[in-house]
Amino acid sequence: MAISVPEYDGVTLEQMYDDPYPTYAMLRKDAPVAWLKPANIHVVTKYEDIMQVERDQETFPSYDNRSLMIKVMGHTLMRRDGDDHKRHRKSLERTFSPVSVKRHWKPIFERIADEIIDDLYDKGQADIFADFAAPYASRCLKEVIGLPNMDWQDLSTWSQAFMDGVGNYGNDPETWARAKAAFEGIDNAIEDHYDGLKANPDYSALSSMFEVEDPIDMADIRANIKVIVGGGLNEPRDVTCTIVYALLTNPDQLKKFLANPALYKTIFEEAVRWVSPIGMYPRKVSKRVEIGGAILDEGDALGLVVASANRDSDRFENADKFDIDREKMAHIGFGAGPHFCAGTWVARAQVGEIAIPKLFERLPNLRLDPEHESKFGGWVFRGPLSVPVVWDA
Amino acid sequence: MTKLTFILPDGSSQEVEATAGHSVMKTAISNSVNGIVAECNGSLACATCHVFLDDASAAQIDPPGETENDLLDFAAVERQPTSRLSCQVMVDNLPDGAVITMPETQV
Ligand code: HEM
Ligand code: FES
Repeated sequence: MAISVPEYDGVTLEQMYDDPYPTYAMLRKDAPVAWLKPANIHVVTKYEDIMQVERDQETFPSYDNRSLMIKVMGHTLMRRDGDDHKRHRKSLERTFSPVSVKRHWKPIFERIADEIIDDLYDKGQADIFADFAAPYASRCLKEVIGLPNMDWQDLSTWSQAFMDGVGNYGNDPETWARAKAAFEGIDNAIEDHYDGLKANPDYSALSSMFEVEDPIDMADIRANIKVIVGGGLNEPRDVTCTIVYALLTNPDQLKKFLANPALYKTIFEEAVRWVSPIGMYPRKVSKRVEIGGAILDEGDALGLVVASANRDSDRFENADKFDIDREKMAHIGFGAGPHFCAGTWVARAQVGEIAIPKLFERLPNLRLDPEHESKFGGWVFRGPLSVPVVWDA
Repeated sequence: MTKLTFILPDGSSQEVEATAGHSVMKTAISNSVNGIVAECNGSLACATCHVFLDDASAAQIDPPGETENDLLDFAAVERQPTSRLSCQVMVDNLPDGAVITMPETQV
């Protein structure tokens, strides 16, 4: 029998930040749809329930007039539905199609990865997060969006400012100010690159949106660039770090990878499953509906916790373990349904096919730094905060 | 109504009465036919809804569009001449009795 949504108040947001997985495991078992009081949101934590939501865009739209994303970035494709959303996706196809990735983006990503590793090589030690993954993700993203002349550190700062803004439920004025600075910074950069891109169209997201047949409005193009800035940096950065950490703490699996480089694909997908960089994303409930045995009402805000679904033991055996030998099963770390990550093929090439093989090939005897521990943090977004390593330079 | 037969990787088969207006992907999922993952639920972004059509059906319908054709190169099981992404094939266009074979894996 369906029940009203149970409330859960047994965890603090600080505890969720440290390690949300025990809470997810408990919720999946006892209250798969729950009102997570400390976060003020209904969370859906089981794989099948999230799939049910994702297959029904009418009942569970992405548009929400309360959306902080719209406030911070403008009306991006991530908060659109139906044909309107399709039109936006279509306008980005040239950039994100797997063929463009293979032919156009791969050589660019290879060059960037090599340049960063060249600079690091002699040092014999680094924090994979700060010294490789962050600059790599930012420098790749600049190219992908079509703002190559930007400073990668600015892009990184603005990306974080957008993400903090989108999560600013506490209404912190300083966070709004940073988000506003990012908004203006990106608009100015677009302005600076506009004439060049119009004169010489390329594969970038800006160019793709400018040149498509039946282009969307300029204000919407700007908003979409902002959502790509906010959503295209942390995730590849974090999954790069997760993979390095996972392989270095599982020597048997590392050995298999070194013997068979084609395993990069499996390794990449398993890392996105194991520690999903986007742990949760929102949907709205447009009419009274039952899900996971609980009744939700019109207007309810839902959080789809894909990080939890990706550890659901009904789907993945020994789900808490990083295991490249597990039975192949699709995960939902890239989402599901119409908003399935537009950057999936970019991320697969950028991280799985290029960054990881290069790091392990080029840094001899790469290992965790015994003097400094790696740290993880986050729940809505989660990943390593530092992965200190050493190698034989 | 169009009758479709799905052949699963283990060799068994399943017959389904398809609803007009549905894609082959949606038909399989709503009839609990295993073998299609459809990560992107039909947004033409994932290539995890790969199927093989029988020759006659493949010849009868419009060939894949550009994006579908590109994506098929990235399917987990190597494409064949009658490969399609099932989210792009509407059952209405298929002949009655079309046979759809699932690949060994989608991921
Ligand atoms: C491992 C890396 C990545 C992961 C795990 C990831 C995950 C996700 C997820 C879960 C969504 C769905 C959000 C929702 O439904 O509300 C999404 C959407 C999106 N992602 Fe990614 N992402 C990654 C990398 C990237 C990259 C590198 C880019 C761009 C350069 C990107 C661009 C986008 C865009 C534009 C959307 C919105 C799609 C839409 O609304 O139709 N992502 N991503
Ligand atoms: S369901 Fe993703 S391409 Fe068909």
